[in-house]
Amino acid sequence: MSTATSLSTTNRNDLSHLGIIQSEWIKLRSLRSTWWTFAILFVITVGVGIQMSSSTSFAWLDGGLSQTGMQAAGVNAVIIGTDINVLVVSVLGVLVIASEYSTGMIRSTFTTVPQRVPALLAKSLVLAIGTFLVVALAVAITIPISIGLLAGNGIDVRLDDPHYWRAMIGSICYLVLIGLMAFGIGAILRSIAGGIAVALGLVFVAPLALGLVGGSSAPQIWLQNFVALLPFNLGRALTAHPGYADFASPGVPLQRPEGLWVLEPWQGALGLVMWVVVVFTAAIVLLKRRDA
Amino acid sequence: MTDVRTIEVEAVTKRFGAVAAVNSLSFQVAPGRVTGFLGPNGAGKTTTLRMLLGLVRPTEGRATFGGVAYADLDSPLRTVGAALEAASFHPGRSARNHLAILATASRIPRARIDATLDLVGLSEFADRRVGGYSLGMRQRLGLASALLGDPGVLVLDEPINGLDPEGIKWIRSLLRALAGEGRTVLVSSHLLSEVQQSVDDVIIIARGELVHEGTLSSLSAGDSLSVLVDAPDRAALAAALSAAGFTVTAARAGLVVVGVEAEEVGRAAFAAGVPLSTLHRQSSGLEETFLHLVGGDR
Repeated sequence: MSTATSLSTTNRNDLSHLGIIQSEWIKLRSLRSTWWTFAILFVITVGVGIQMSSSTSFAWLDGGLSQTGMQAAGVNAVIIGTDINVLVVSVLGVLVIASEYSTGMIRSTFTTVPQRVPALLAKSLVLAIGTFLVVALAVAITIPISIGLLAGNGIDVRLDDPHYWRAMIGSICYLVLIGLMAFGIGAILRSIAGGIAVALGLVFVAPLALGLVGGSSAPQIWLQNFVALLPFNLGRALTAHPGYADFASPGVPLQRPEGLWVLEPWQGALGLVMWVVVVFTAAIVLLKRRDA
Repeated sequence: MTDVRTIEVEAVTKRFGAVAAVNSLSFQVAPGRVTGFLGPNGAGKTTTLRMLLGLVRPTEGRATFGGVAYADLDSPLRTVGAALEAASFHPGRSARNHLAILATASRIPRARIDATLDLVGLSEFADRRVGGYSLGMRQRLGLASALLGDPGVLVLDEPINGLDPEGIKWIRSLLRALAGEGRTVLVSSHLLSEVQQSVDDVIIIARGELVHEGTLSSLSAGDSLSVLVDAPDRAALAAALSAAGFTVTAARAGLVVVGVEAEEVGRAAFAAGVPLSTLHRQSSGLEETFLHLVGGDR
């Protein structure tokens, strides 16, 4: 090109993983929808956390709440917004990949990175990091406010409780993993509307519908155990605090039917990771095979 | 410009279900020339270009750049620059960000972004969102994406579509300049007249199959020759020409004699002593030859 800056001619294999990741980062940050979604995530986390913290009180309870119950109340107040935010990260996850197909951008992506898979993985990585940072920042801001507000309501949350912190980190990871799962669904379906419908169906509708069918009677225990393996309930397990029973029904131990699975937080995390791995495997196989 | 390659399409077939969009298509595109890739809408041009770029997998055959499939190129954007007909960008991004995305992944220096925007005349609009661009501006952005890596091969799908007259003039000289620098330039179009002034070679396909491959002038060689002739006494002229052994058809403006030069017709009339009022050679025109080739002549 006579008018152009000349390029070095010795570069081989220009495509580096770092370059592709940086490129995907520019993609993520150069769209307004990303910032809107991140803003919503942030506002919901902080806003709902503050609201919950200021309205949680056990002054009515004779003898007050046990310390472990207070810890669970502290966890609940901060992460209560997570149940809404799974909706936000589901939409974001689908949008980030499916919008490339709906706009035609995917052709530019695939001509730039013809092996395709590195681009998909880089995109999921920047989505995960972005979501993690935004939610972590929001949680970090909410925690001190929440503790102050709860103390005003007679609930003293102690910060030397490892379960408290584990639940905090768990809630952040939960949102990241749901975002990734939705991303994989978007990559498989290549449609914004279809992707959001399936992701929300899996995250919200499935546990609700199957939970209603399952009820609590003994014959449907297997169904309830199945429901426990759906993303939403795995997320509940991941973010659970051991004092939850004391907080949810103080003084009255929760009755659990025989044979019902109670998942440990690490099992919840493992289950969610498995969902992501399964969806990603399908997405990668299809990505290599399909015409764009 | 890094390396210049020949585009090689070898017996490529693409079937979508039972329909063969491209059927055993073979052709080559040489460096240093502008090659028009022509055919009516639905002939399989875009499918062929997508196979070339590794977006669509051929059912059979292979399409390469000097023997290397697009996906196996070490530096795709520096080797092949492509602008596809349909928009290949997100409307919510600016042109500058779009080019930055491509440049960053391919380790193309940032300076190229401004240089390319300047070259296609988009500098002024570089920070506006692409969604607000006119069709012509989108074409220019597509071209900028293709030129970003200063590639030796350019694959442009309908690049003239949507440009204003000034833009058409500009792109014609750009294509000529790019080929003049030794690059391989493949330009698709559904109208021969659109690219007639800028191409050296033509590849014409119809219904997924090759119907003509050669230089632009090879297209006019197949032109059917005819002569329009008329005289105040048309009946006498018709008799004279028939007597001389020509096949004559009556037309509104005179008589049409097919397959001869005007000189021969004039000589026959002169020999018969019939004064002429009209004598001229008719060329059917490239566009008609083209339409005839692709079977769309109406």
